[in-house]
Amino acid sequence: MIMNPQLTNSIVEILPRVEGFAYPNEATTHPLWSVLIVVYPYVTGLVAGAFIMASLVRVFNVKPLEPVYRLSLLTSLAFLLCAPLPLLFHLGHPERCFEIMMTPHLSSPMAMFGFVYAWYLMAVLLLELWFDYRKDFVEWSKAEPGLRGIIYRSFTLGVHDVSDPAVQLDARMGRIISIIGIPSAFLLHGYVGFIFGSIKANPWWGNVLMPIIFIFSAIVSGMALCVFLYMILSWARRTPIDMDCLDQMQKFLFFALVVDAAIESLDWVHRLYSADESIHILKSLAAGRLFYTLLVGQAFCGTLLPLLLLGAIQLFGRQMAVAVRQRVYLASSVLILVGVLAMRWNVVIGGQLFSKSLRGFMDYKLEFAGHEGWLASLGLLLLPFMILAVFVKLFLPLSAPPQGGGLPAMKPSGSTGAA
Amino acid sequence: MQRPRIPPQILRLLVLTIVIVTVYSIARYFLTPQSFGMYGWYRAVALDEIAARPTTYAGRKACDECHSEVVQRLAKYEHKSVSCESCHGVGQAHAENPDVAVAKLTYSHCVRCHEADPARPKWLKQVKSKEHYTGQRCTECHIPHQPNEVP
Ligand code: HEC
Ligand code: HEC
Ligand code: HEC
Ligand code: HEC
Repeated sequence: MIMNPQLTNSIVEILPRVEGFAYPNEATTHPLWSVLIVVYPYVTGLVAGAFIMASLVRVFNVKPLEPVYRLSLLTSLAFLLCAPLPLLFHLGHPERCFEIMMTPHLSSPMAMFGFVYAWYLMAVLLLELWFDYRKDFVEWSKAEPGLRGIIYRSFTLGVHDVSDPAVQLDARMGRIISIIGIPSAFLLHGYVGFIFGSIKANPWWGNVLMPIIFIFSAIVSGMALCVFLYMILSWARRTPIDMDCLDQMQKFLFFALVVDAAIESLDWVHRLYSADESIHILKSLAAGRLFYTLLVGQAFCGTLLPLLLLGAIQLFGRQMAVAVRQRVYLASSVLILVGVLAMRWNVVIGGQLFSKSLRGFMDYKLEFAGHEGWLASLGLLLLPFMILAVFVKLFLPLSAPPQGGGLPAMKPSGSTGAA
Repeated sequence: MQRPRIPPQILRLLVLTIVIVTVYSIARYFLTPQSFGMYGWYRAVALDEIAARPTTYAGRKACDECHSEVVQRLAKYEHKSVSCESCHGVGQAHAENPDVAVAKLTYSHCVRCHEADPARPKWLKQVKSKEHYTGQRCTECHIPHQPNEVP
């Protein structure tokens, strides 16, 4: 029923929500890309960022970060497993949405996802994790009875060789894979930025800086997530927090945030100075429809405030009590996580809030319970944390705490790296 | 000298990779829709599925069979370019069986086209419904089929 009275009434409802001039087909409160397409780049970004955190240890040999190495890899995996879900939910046909994975193709950015995803999951993350854990799997499978033992045993893939040369080979392979992994992580998230950056009809999106902005905001958010999870996990397990590690993480987070903020401001400087025909609508977009998410959420709470907090710690950290530093770290990582989510919202939804005529604005009315609503996106954001909880239970046992000598495979890695 | 051999874990991974690729290829064979790629990178039968949907609009010619005086009257006035069903809603079911009533019209269906909106072309007469004789139904003053006449 196209022309039923409810519909005509709802169209009358919509008109007041349109401001200025909008083409008739734009006058809707349901943009094509809903909040799920906000969640999608957010989750993929966390994957890439957490992976970069792990490769700081593997590739760049940042020793103090070793306690979070495995945690960040597992985080990356938990989020990667959930990354396609927002897309599949958005496609909406449960009976055939998975076909996007069956028919990857180079002609459309969305159909490319199959390749990017398979590469990152299979060739990078799982392999790196496996080589890192192989020795532990063998040991655990001998020690653990019951279901756990079966799980560990099946993960050894039947290879029980833990002689020195074999373990050294594992370490070398792990290193090679994480060296391949860094460009792959950039590719994964650069690809998500490219989905938007390649849409040249939309001045808010079509921008060569877009993939780079996405990569850096991904690194920032992923690192913030690792900080957050590390602190929460330590508190939950009542294990002492390794302040050396935390300080180091914060330092990298701070530098990544500086670069991210610089690139994003560069983007704005460039837009404002070159002032092409779209600049007026973009300015009013930022000051109007996106005021709370862009200026308050992304710029102030998500960037400026953490920059000040973390910058202060960089300058006066030595004088601050450990407890104060921990609070500041936790607060700034939460602020950054929220800020990057706001950034994704601003890009995805913001780009659909102004008319192609550049003379008017549309509105987005977020539904609550639909398959593209509040509840679904909240569930999709919480799911990776639940998966991670299982991973932590299985693969980060307390008996071999992440602190100290918990990373047997790491030592040879350092030596082969130096050789 | 020892012969160089493939380390066991690498061998296992190679085998696993082959298994995964095989399983994926089999899954792909069965899960890719039959008609996929016949015309392009999409299911060809999607076109037939769309074409096979029941029509819901009948068109003005169908209404002419039974309501010819309305059709003729309408043709003389300003709403002549407007299709019957853009006011009355889908009518295929009604045209096939008049016992099925067409949707009851509400007051708001006129403003769907006539509400003032800068995006609308200037030639389309527009009113601000909040200022234009509020409180009364449009049809109390305008005859829908003869909009130029004010009773
Ligand atoms: C087969 C003949 C037939 C066709 C074709 C037909 N109608 Fe009707 N229509 C009727 C009859 C008979 C009535 C009177 C029914 C009644 O009063 O209960 C009617 C009544 C109506 C009414 C008045 C309903 C009311 O509540 O007073 C409208 C409006 C209407 N038709 C619109 C249309 C439109 C629009 C079309 C074209 C899509 C159409 N009809 C095609 C036979 C037809
Ligand atoms: C501008 C919108 C509009 C268009 C176009 C329109 N109608 Fe109507 N029609 C109405 C309204 C409004 C009523 C009266 C409803 C009321 O007063 O409750 C009506 C009433 C009717 C009725 C029942 C009363 C009567 O006058 O006989 C019939 C039958 C009818 N229309 C058929 C048609 C047919 C056939 C066409 C296409 C040739 C058509 N209408 C086009 C708006 C329209
Ligand atoms: C599908 C869109 C549409 C709907 C619905 C519609 N109209 Fe119109 N109306 C038009 C068009 C097109 C014209 C012709 C252009 C013009 O003169 O504005 C017109 C013209 C008019 C005019 C101006 C006639 C003149 O003197 O120039 C009036 C009055 C009018 N409509 C009243 C109504 C009323 C009352 C309704 C509700 C029963 C209605 N319209 C529903 C499209 C629509
Ligand atoms: C109290 C009677 C009355 C009611 C109710 C009424 N109108 Fe009018 N309408 C008029 C008169 C009289 C005119 C012509 C003079 C004028 O422009 O005010 C007119 C003019 C119009 C015009 C043409 C405007 C132009 O620029 O020439 C449109 C379109 C219109 N009305 C639509 C509507 C719609 C839609 C509704 C329902 C929301 C409605 N009218 C309700 C009396 C009425």
